[in-house]
Amino acid sequence: MLIDRRIFNHFNYKLLLATLFICAAGLVVLYSAGFDPNSTSRNLGIFGYAPKSVPFTKQAMFMGVGLIFMLVGMVVNSQSLYRVAYPFYIACILMLIGVLLFGTVVNGSRRWFPIGDFRFQPSEIAKVAVILVMARYLSRTRLPLGGFTLKSIIIPTLLMLLPMSLIIRQPDLGTALSLGSAGFGMLFFVGIRPRTLVSLAILGAIAVVPVWNSLHDYQKRRVWTLIDPTSDPLGSGYHLNQSKIAVGSGAFAGKGYFQGTQAQLEFLPEHTTDFVFSVLAEEWGFLGSVIVLGLYFFFMVSLLSIISKSRDIFASFIVVGVSSLFFFHIIVNIGMVIGILPVVGITLPLFSYGGSSVLVSMFCIGIVLGISMRKYQFGRT
Amino acid sequence: MFSLLILRLWYLQIVKGDYFRNLSENNRIRSVYVQAPRGMIYDRWGETLVANRPAFNIELVTEDCPDEKRVIEKLEKLIGVTPGSINKNNPLSRKRKPFEPKLLIKDASRDTVAKVAVNKFHLPGISIEATPARDYVYKESASHLLGYIREITKDQLSGVKYKGYQQGEVVGQFGLESNLEDMLRGVRGLQRVEVNAMGTRISEFSFEEERMGNDVYLTIDAAVQAAAENGLAGLKGAAVALDPNSGEILALASLPAFDPNIFTGEISTDAWRELSAGRTSKLTNRVLQSAYPPGSVFKIITALAGLSEKVISQYETVYCPGYYSFAGRRYRCHKHVGHGWVDLRSAIVESCDTYFYSLATKLGIDTIHKYSTDFGLGMPTGLALGQESKGLIPSTEWKRQYFSKAEDKIWYPGETLSVVIGQGAIMTTPIQMARSLAALVNGGKLIRPQAVRKISGEDGHAIQEFIPEILSQSTLNANAVKIIRDALIGVVNDKKGTGGRAKLEKFPEILVAGKTGTAQVVSLDVTAKGDHLKDHAWFASYAPADKPELVVVVFVENGGHGGAAAAPIAKAIFEAYFESVKSHKVKLVPHNIEGSINRS
Repeated sequence: MLIDRRIFNHFNYKLLLATLFICAAGLVVLYSAGFDPNSTSRNLGIFGYAPKSVPFTKQAMFMGVGLIFMLVGMVVNSQSLYRVAYPFYIACILMLIGVLLFGTVVNGSRRWFPIGDFRFQPSEIAKVAVILVMARYLSRTRLPLGGFTLKSIIIPTLLMLLPMSLIIRQPDLGTALSLGSAGFGMLFFVGIRPRTLVSLAILGAIAVVPVWNSLHDYQKRRVWTLIDPTSDPLGSGYHLNQSKIAVGSGAFAGKGYFQGTQAQLEFLPEHTTDFVFSVLAEEWGFLGSVIVLGLYFFFMVSLLSIISKSRDIFASFIVVGVSSLFFFHIIVNIGMVIGILPVVGITLPLFSYGGSSVLVSMFCIGIVLGISMRKYQFGRT
Repeated sequence: MFSLLILRLWYLQIVKGDYFRNLSENNRIRSVYVQAPRGMIYDRWGETLVANRPAFNIELVTEDCPDEKRVIEKLEKLIGVTPGSINKNNPLSRKRKPFEPKLLIKDASRDTVAKVAVNKFHLPGISIEATPARDYVYKESASHLLGYIREITKDQLSGVKYKGYQQGEVVGQFGLESNLEDMLRGVRGLQRVEVNAMGTRISEFSFEEERMGNDVYLTIDAAVQAAAENGLAGLKGAAVALDPNSGEILALASLPAFDPNIFTGEISTDAWRELSAGRTSKLTNRVLQSAYPPGSVFKIITALAGLSEKVISQYETVYCPGYYSFAGRRYRCHKHVGHGWVDLRSAIVESCDTYFYSLATKLGIDTIHKYSTDFGLGMPTGLALGQESKGLIPSTEWKRQYFSKAEDKIWYPGETLSVVIGQGAIMTTPIQMARSLAALVNGGKLIRPQAVRKISGEDGHAIQEFIPEILSQSTLNANAVKIIRDALIGVVNDKKGTGGRAKLEKFPEILVAGKTGTAQVVSLDVTAKGDHLKDHAWFASYAPADKPELVVVVFVENGGHGGAAAAPIAKAIFEAYFESVKSHKVKLVPHNIEGSINRS
């Protein structure tokens, strides 16, 4: 029996509420960020009118569809997820290879498969696949007491590195890192022996040189820009400078809705996607920013609380992976916008404009909601 | 982690909020470039030839305009142009920065400007902007020399030469405007426009003053130039007057001419086609861009070659029965009844062809080629003014290289007979002829003709002064030069001389020396008739004959006889020159002639 009364008793309303509030706040900010009084786009033919803020309208549609995805995530139980983990992972790897060969190139990156008017980004789904496959591996493997040894960490690391390396090739450093963050979060949840950590750190230090060399010039510049943003104000420092101006000029109460000159006059690049938080900070000030940060904090706390209340270890791992993923996105995106982390293409979940990201985020939240619902439900259904 | 973010936000927004608010304000202030007026162009006496005048452009700023289509329709109705014509000239599709004004009407008429100004409140977003436009004071006068300016082309924008230029800027496209672009253009200014959060302009203030271009003083004498153009009025042709010692050009006229002012406004495709169509169009500078057979003017060179090579002497005579028999053919003299016994002087004065035919057989084509080259014929003169025609001085070498068939490669002695009187394959430009005559009277110096004397900056200090440049020097046989110069006086002043109509009336005490030329236009179709087959008229001259100050070469395309068509124009040019010198009291002393010899 799929529907059980207990399911509703244990439904995690806090997480749902936090999600919906974040979505609403995101739409409010996006309406202003994407506002174009001269917009004549009639692409959204089903409504037969020209929206003044195209990103807002599309995002609202995606969120509508996202709610369905969320529902799907809730309905699927963890046994099914457990079963599909490996096939799904393999399918994702194949798609990532496929996109490298046949994908559409946008802004120099080969990330998308075109599907009708929309573009589908397999690397977003790969996040789900990595979380599932690692959760399955970790839940089934007898792990050494006291945390991972160097030997036992090899296989889960490889599971994570394979899709990451494919995504880096696109090139899409941001998504690859967010994939890694989910995986590492899960490894840390198990625990890693101090000795192993030290060895990994040494390995990492050795790897820095070839990795730095393999970075694209623009990526290297971004790292340098973080250290000295004024060194190249019209090049890669431009994003950072304009973003800091936008955030800072918001001051305590903000400039007011639609009054953000940085965003409205298009000084701020990517102000509907990666830098949407700057628009919030500019128009709503410290007050608005802290409220939204609070929402995200509440959201994270709700997520994390589910870890310990999961029905089985597999489900716990899934929640850990999803939490790490969101945490990484929130911290890195906002950190980048306010100039304490380098500029990497990391979206702010449910705030940044982007269909794939919204759908995958809401699907993940759906899975976690499903896990929390079924925490007392035993046996296979 | 979250508290770290909040801490940072506190720092940015609360602690440094004012600082960043300030920065964002600065962001809202937009920069607009202000076109700098180009430098003025004056003649040698300081008379203004090219100035600047304000032109009014009607512009539209989309951000300030609620309904662009309706406003433009209103504007079209107001000024009475066909609906849709404004947008046809200015497609809306071009990418534009925010607040960048869009040009609707270039150089609008006073009437249009008045109408728009009165109705400004009914035309939101429309503004009238004053920009400097070029004013060519004498319209068509010296247009080939002065040139014109026009909006920079796509090709130019992408080239290296125009680095730093922006789309929509005007640049010199022809003549001196193009050659002296760097000197004339000036430095554009930067105006800052303040816009508020909703994008409307609040105020404007100049930030960086634009700097006018440098002023150019030409060697041209406007009065002499006018005389040359009046003389050629209604004809096709060219006239050039230069100082044989310094190479300074006092007049450079090519007709038909164009009015450079038309390039300021919109120029229709038809108007452009009318200007530029054909091999020799209104834009062709006939002084240096097209070459013609020089006709009998060339006899000056062949006579000098004959004397210098000692194949003829001053008093040797030849009998002219009206033709010359050579290799079983009769070569006709232009005077069909014949000149009788002629010596060198009378052969030049009366332009006897027979005498020169006989000289040809003694000289050979390659000797003629050598002397022509010494006098700068068949090569560009080096006047810095666009593409120059080389002309052509034939030689055995040239034939060997130019033709492909074996029988065409051979030089036939009969051909020398044509070349010696300036017919056949030989082609020269008027400016080449002027320079070669200058070399005859200045002791064999090949000078670079120059049209610019001085370029001066805003406060009048000279940035660049042009000193005479001697490109090469050949040693002339002084006795031969003396004999020929005496004959050239005879051409104008002897009773039988062909150039009598160049004799000055206003200054009878000043003797003109010169040589007429009447070059046949060869057509393969012997029965063809028409103006385009009429002879070209030449007159190459200098004055005063004993101490030449000015060389004048006049060329009239299909003008007929040189003495009848070209010589009177030269006379008018000389008279204008001597009057100009008299009225200015001082003669503008040419720069030090010693100059360095430049053999590049």
